[in-house]
Amino acid sequence: MNVTQLSLQQTPPLSVPLRFFLTAPLFGLLASGLLLYQGPSLFASRWHFAILALTHTVTLGIITMVMIGAFLQILPVLAGIQIPRPRLVSTILHLLLSLGIIMLIGGLLIAYPLLIHWALLFLSLSFLLFIAIVGYCLFQVKTITPIIIAMRLALIALTVTIILGVDVGGAIISWPFTLLPLKLSPLKLTNLHLAWGLIGWIALLIIGVAYQMVPMFQITPPYPTLLTRWLAPVILTTLLIWTLLYINDENSPVTLLSTILIGIPLGVFAITTLYLQAKRLRKLADVTLNYWRVGMVGLLITIIGWFLIPFYPSLANSPFYDILLIVLFIAGFILPVMQGMLYKIVPFLLWLHLQNQQLANLPASQAVKIPNMKQIISESWAYRQFWLYLTGLGFLIGGILQPYPFIQVAGLIFICSFLLLSYNFYHALKLYIVIKPQLSQPKS
Amino acid sequence: MNQKTITATFSQQHSHCDSLFAQAEFEVDKNHWETATTGLTTFINSMECHFTNEEQILFPRFEQCTGSATAGPTQVMRFEHQQMRQLFQEMQASVVQQDRDQYLGLSETLLMLMRQHNAKEEQILYPMSDQMLADEVTTILESLDLTTFDKLSNL
Repeated sequence: MNVTQLSLQQTPPLSVPLRFFLTAPLFGLLASGLLLYQGPSLFASRWHFAILALTHTVTLGIITMVMIGAFLQILPVLAGIQIPRPRLVSTILHLLLSLGIIMLIGGLLIAYPLLIHWALLFLSLSFLLFIAIVGYCLFQVKTITPIIIAMRLALIALTVTIILGVDVGGAIISWPFTLLPLKLSPLKLTNLHLAWGLIGWIALLIIGVAYQMVPMFQITPPYPTLLTRWLAPVILTTLLIWTLLYINDENSPVTLLSTILIGIPLGVFAITTLYLQAKRLRKLADVTLNYWRVGMVGLLITIIGWFLIPFYPSLANSPFYDILLIVLFIAGFILPVMQGMLYKIVPFLLWLHLQNQQLANLPASQAVKIPNMKQIISESWAYRQFWLYLTGLGFLIGGILQPYPFIQVAGLIFICSFLLLSYNFYHALKLYIVIKPQLSQPKS
Repeated sequence: MNQKTITATFSQQHSHCDSLFAQAEFEVDKNHWETATTGLTTFINSMECHFTNEEQILFPRFEQCTGSATAGPTQVMRFEHQQMRQLFQEMQASVVQQDRDQYLGLSETLLMLMRQHNAKEEQILYPMSDQMLADEVTTILESLDLTTFDKLSNL
């Protein structure tokens, strides 16, 4: 074993993950604006270009943005693997991704094929770079922990999602070629893209991160080994088998079995997380805990809704039902979990980098007072933001059943919520920028 | 009989310290300053005892074996111990001043630092030690001051 390669120091430069974490709330604002602007017409059909624009603002602009930042932070810290040239890599990745997302949203909103064409190129490039570098790093890892397994599987799922996504996008703007050597209907391509993206890429990574973070934040018992060993692989394998069957026949009974084989592990994950959190040693009120509980309940409701379809076939034909489930999954499960996580990670990273500089540069006698995590992001403002988000979520769900006027109300509340999230993060960054120069060198 | 490992012994000390941490924080949250003071002292003493076992027994053996005394993973672990010690001092001061908000902000910060430090040790450093120092695990474990740790943390 080569110890010199293993540097547990590892926390990458602050700007590497932070640029992704701090861009996400801005796309949150954009998504909320779209919700308000498009209003009740938005959810009229799953195929509406505006809803595709909104979905990608959220899934790429908020969710994937945070996940890439998390990957770049977690890999060095928990696996001891350094990303080569982290600043350069993260700058290029962030730039390509942000521009790609903006062009995709713009292209879809004004139905301008050339913009979508460029968006697909930018996004493909950024994901290719990300998958190549992170994939290379992930295969170097010697100590294989459950989070590493989940990250590897999530990366595979991302690759599939991107290939499918490029083919869907290419079909929209009539590209003469496809990446997959198959001729699939746009409906099948989109459903596959959605399943691999939401379940494979996003949910698997959340599960892997939860193994590490849930016990860490609240001092809970660890997740059972049986679960950490099998859950993610079962979900991905089922997804793969379902995909092969779905390509041939979308109504085969095996599809029902796959629903069960994916839904039950996800449900087990949600219930186990809630159970572990109930057994936590740290009994203090905590905004992250609130967000995670909302997320787990959101996930459970989505799964129940999903299981109802085989029993009430009329639901499958209802125009709003699949939109409801996707909204519940994204806004009721993924977004709460991510915001909860960011409320721990962002202030901790800012504190850690200030503290590192203090210990490295200043003698103890000249120590400068460094604000603690709750001084970096005020708990009361974090709570206000949480309640705003939850209210917005309520109106959004109501808005799917009764679009006017609930969708616009939801849009307005989400604007406030993401404004406050941005304020909380950017105010924290400002504090960091003010204190940092005081730590650079000792006074003579 | 299962042979004891470095990973199991040291990880157990981590979880013991975690629960002491949570107890002390709970008392502060409730403004029970007397029990909070005792709780914090017990927690810090146990942590210091655990650090000593690492810094004076485990790490030097690891460094000798790997030749990584100046720039290896143990140096980073020692550095993080320093970071935690600084927070210990600030937490003690806030208990003396009975400043609840200040303590809870510091304990939140310490928790993140401590838990990610522990995760790195439990997932990487200890298993590596078990593997690389396989022949001398028993000797190392016997030379640890476990009695003091048990006595301190069971106060």
